[in-house]
Amino acid sequence: MTVTLTRSTPAVTSPPPARVRRRGERSRLASIAYHATMITVSAVAVFPVLWVVYMSFGDADAWANPAEILRSPVTSNYGAVLRQHDGFLTWLGNSLVVAICTTLLGVLIAATAGYALSRMRFPGHRPLMWTFLVTQMFPVAILIVPLYNILSTLHLLNTYAGLVLTYCTISVPFCAWMLKGYFDTIPVEIDEAGRIDGCSPFGTFWKLVVPLARPGLAVTAFYTFLTAWGEVAYATQFMTTPDRYTLAVGLQTYVGQFKAEWGAMTAASVMISAFAAAVFFGVQRHLVSGLTAGAAK
Amino acid sequence: MTLLRRVLDRHWYAWAMVAPVVLVLALLVLYPLARGLWFSLTDANESNIGRTIGPNHIPSTYQFVGLDNYWHVLSGAEGHFYPVLAWTVVWTLICVALHYGIGLALALLLNQRARFRTGYRIMLILPWAVPPFVSVFAWRLLLNGQAGIVNKALGGLGLPAVAWLSDPTWQKVSVIGVNTWIGVPFMMVALLGGLQSIPAELYEAAEMDGASAWHRFRFVTVPSLRPISNTVILLGCIWTFNQFAIIFLLVGQAAGASSQILVTYAYQLAFSGVRDYSGSATYGALILSLLLVFAVVYRRRLGSPARENPT
Amino acid sequence: MRRGIAFLAVTVALAASGCSGSAEPADSDSGTITWWDTSDATTEAPTYQALVAQFQAQHPKIKVNYVNVPFSDAEQKFKTAAQGGNGAPDVMRSDVGWTPAFAAQGYLLPLDGTPAVDQIGDFLAGPAGTAKYDGKMYGAPQVTDTLGLLYNKALFAKAGITAAPKTWPELKTASQALKAKAGVDGVYLNPDSYFLLPFLYGEGANLVDVANKKITINSPEAVKGVQTAQDLVASGAAAKPAYTDGYANMQAAFKDGKVGMIINGPWSASDIFAGKAFQDKANLGIAPVPAGSTGQAGSPVGGHNLVVYAGTKHAGAAEQFVQFMTSAASESTTAAKLGTLPARTSAYTSEVTANQVIASFQQAMAIAQPRLALPQASDLLGPLSQDYVKILQGEQAQAGLDNSAKEFAKLLPGWSAP
Repeated sequence: MTVTLTRSTPAVTSPPPARVRRRGERSRLASIAYHATMITVSAVAVFPVLWVVYMSFGDADAWANPAEILRSPVTSNYGAVLRQHDGFLTWLGNSLVVAICTTLLGVLIAATAGYALSRMRFPGHRPLMWTFLVTQMFPVAILIVPLYNILSTLHLLNTYAGLVLTYCTISVPFCAWMLKGYFDTIPVEIDEAGRIDGCSPFGTFWKLVVPLARPGLAVTAFYTFLTAWGEVAYATQFMTTPDRYTLAVGLQTYVGQFKAEWGAMTAASVMISAFAAAVFFGVQRHLVSGLTAGAAK
Repeated sequence: MTLLRRVLDRHWYAWAMVAPVVLVLALLVLYPLARGLWFSLTDANESNIGRTIGPNHIPSTYQFVGLDNYWHVLSGAEGHFYPVLAWTVVWTLICVALHYGIGLALALLLNQRARFRTGYRIMLILPWAVPPFVSVFAWRLLLNGQAGIVNKALGGLGLPAVAWLSDPTWQKVSVIGVNTWIGVPFMMVALLGGLQSIPAELYEAAEMDGASAWHRFRFVTVPSLRPISNTVILLGCIWTFNQFAIIFLLVGQAAGASSQILVTYAYQLAFSGVRDYSGSATYGALILSLLLVFAVVYRRRLGSPARENPT
Repeated sequence: MRRGIAFLAVTVALAASGCSGSAEPADSDSGTITWWDTSDATTEAPTYQALVAQFQAQHPKIKVNYVNVPFSDAEQKFKTAAQGGNGAPDVMRSDVGWTPAFAAQGYLLPLDGTPAVDQIGDFLAGPAGTAKYDGKMYGAPQVTDTLGLLYNKALFAKAGITAAPKTWPELKTASQALKAKAGVDGVYLNPDSYFLLPFLYGEGANLVDVANKKITINSPEAVKGVQTAQDLVASGAAAKPAYTDGYANMQAAFKDGKVGMIINGPWSASDIFAGKAFQDKANLGIAPVPAGSTGQAGSPVGGHNLVVYAGTKHAGAAEQFVQFMTSAASESTTAAKLGTLPARTSAYTSEVTANQVIASFQQAMAIAQPRLALPQASDLLGPLSQDYVKILQGEQAQAGLDNSAKEFAKLLPGWSAP
């Protein structure tokens, strides 16, 4: 390459080269737009929760005059809610009992069925899969009246057993369906290895496959717990006395047709949400991977 | 005989492992379903159903009426089925469209590298972490006609207050809005998972070929997301169609059938006023039939990829 | 099947722990009874709980399990519990409209001749009538009430209104004066059918005509009554009612001094006195509801009876409790503390009648009309509420009431409809 010496004229200087954007980096404007959008959306997501926290520091009539709270906040709502006889703490206990029992029953009963559906092609496996899918479509309305009558005859209304059995109608098919999906992701080679080692199918299931499916089991258990925890229709009808209300029913007693105890309601809401959020955020990383484990196929 | 023996030998393990679920389903789901369908063929209500209370023994006096209830509802004589059905369908379509659309948009945004991404993600998941019955009451407080902060903010901007929870049209807007607020995080997380499992090589290859951002989205992202999109949309449609808590707690039952969807209306028939068990069961059966037809049509049209991808 | 047995065991254990049946001695005047109280949990419940404590002190062998159930859910919860036989209370504070319905369904024990309806002649005629069904007495009247016109005296003075309006047109004028001179809404109408009854009674109309088995909700008089209410809302004289949380919003607005008049009953007095505008109790004015074009005013007789569940295992104890809670002494105490009206003549002591709220509502009771003698009476209010809401939102009154008549016909088969 020939080098040509040229005398550069001092008056002409080329402007510094524009900063080249790396591939994948955003322009400043796009960055601002991105953060502005995310902040707005996040604000919409978070504002109702923050508002409830704010209102929980108001007295009985503060809901009509929100600005009052800044002037005279009270903390008595939390104390009142916690001290209420057959109140918040009882309801929390009931919700936990019912949700945990439902989860345990659902996962235990459904696990073996999910495995069998995943691995074995037996007569009747198609109709069974269809049944699981169809039962998930059942609206509350189709089962609530007959279940109400059946539980009423068996004197199981207003008991834990009645509600747990009712929730099993939702949790068992759901768990079986989800667990089949998770077992599908475990390579069949594991089963073959077990068979070569002389394990019975059940032994293979229990000793080899279940430990590998633990994340899937955990996610299924978590979704089942969430569903039982937040269920409203059955709980409202089947639990009639305050000592058996779950949280969903108990919260409804604060605000009804003729009363509006928003102070107590918001205090209870904050406590429930704090508890639920703590559990949720501990688990949420696994939720994404859990959901995609089945879908990635 | 030997054929039966062979079949049993080969499959008895499977049946044994499936037995607990089959038992539970038969007792807890199929038997009540049959009873529910039976009720829908009678005129049972709380006055003529048999009961024994202390010294009072009242026998069952309800009668079989065949398909009368179904005819009464479907012919429009009962008056509420078609309006409620129309609103239920509109509600489902709009909610699922919003859930999916906003969820996808947020998932795409969250999939980008950015500062505070984790913070945004935590804030956006918060509506999912809070139990629905808590969020609905929070919104009921926010949307209160006189004292809610939303109307106060509108007033501050000089706009007239809106009867969010009273006016029938605004009630519908409110429930859709609240359901969207509650339901977007799930879609967002599911689609984000789907996005994160798309191999980066596909995008690089497309870029090499000169595809613009829009083309990359259309030809790489959308097809890769198809399995999970189909599943979440199907689930979303079913869950939204049957969504009880939001309308029950936000609108209540006092306003009659005007903003009820099929499930809350059926619940209203069964548990308010003179309890009409047969009417409620009829509605339940109709809702189930509608969803079955929908699910079958949906899967046929998509070639049922969902069967291999339950999640 | 290990899992199946485990499941069965868990179920049995849960059922055993859930069952509330306890082996009480057969002695009928002892044991634990449950009372469902439908009074307001914050303002009224403490008084009732104090009475329960008093009862337990007098009857050491009887323990009372006090449960406060919100009024809006109580009817359905009781029906569920009564039919299912599980968790039903032994004694229930039943609204007068529910008592005949519960009795007709077989949920209640007849109380004639039992200690529960002690000194039956001492009960006021109206309340005693509401506790009867099919010739038998099923409840002991505990409180009675009616609707009245409650107003803010300070706001009236500011608007230059000297006396409570006596007719609906006067109410409209007063509302407009309040709007113009005091800057507040004139009246807040609760969009609930029970609160619509004064408008109907003012025109001489009623939901149905029991004697002639006729449905009269869509008669011209009823339409006129409903149109009065509709006009108040449409013209702006009445504040725009909230259809969800309407009662709560009405109370909040009145307590805050943002509305001049409301129509409500004596049960709301303790709640109202907790409000900013009524720190000085003398600021609350109570008058009978205004009259309609017939010149007659009418308000519904309400109240509560204590009823005994038919499936109770401790009838004796339950009856003792009912007797105590409906005795003249208990009803006077409740009246003095809560401003409710007793249902016994002898309970109107001078201390009770000195209470301004009670004295004013006693005057309002003069124009009160008894409830329909019909088990389905309270069920009729449901469909009417739904149509009332639609009418207030702009539907034609005649069309709305015709729809109500259709719904009534479903509940009262065989009755003639116009």
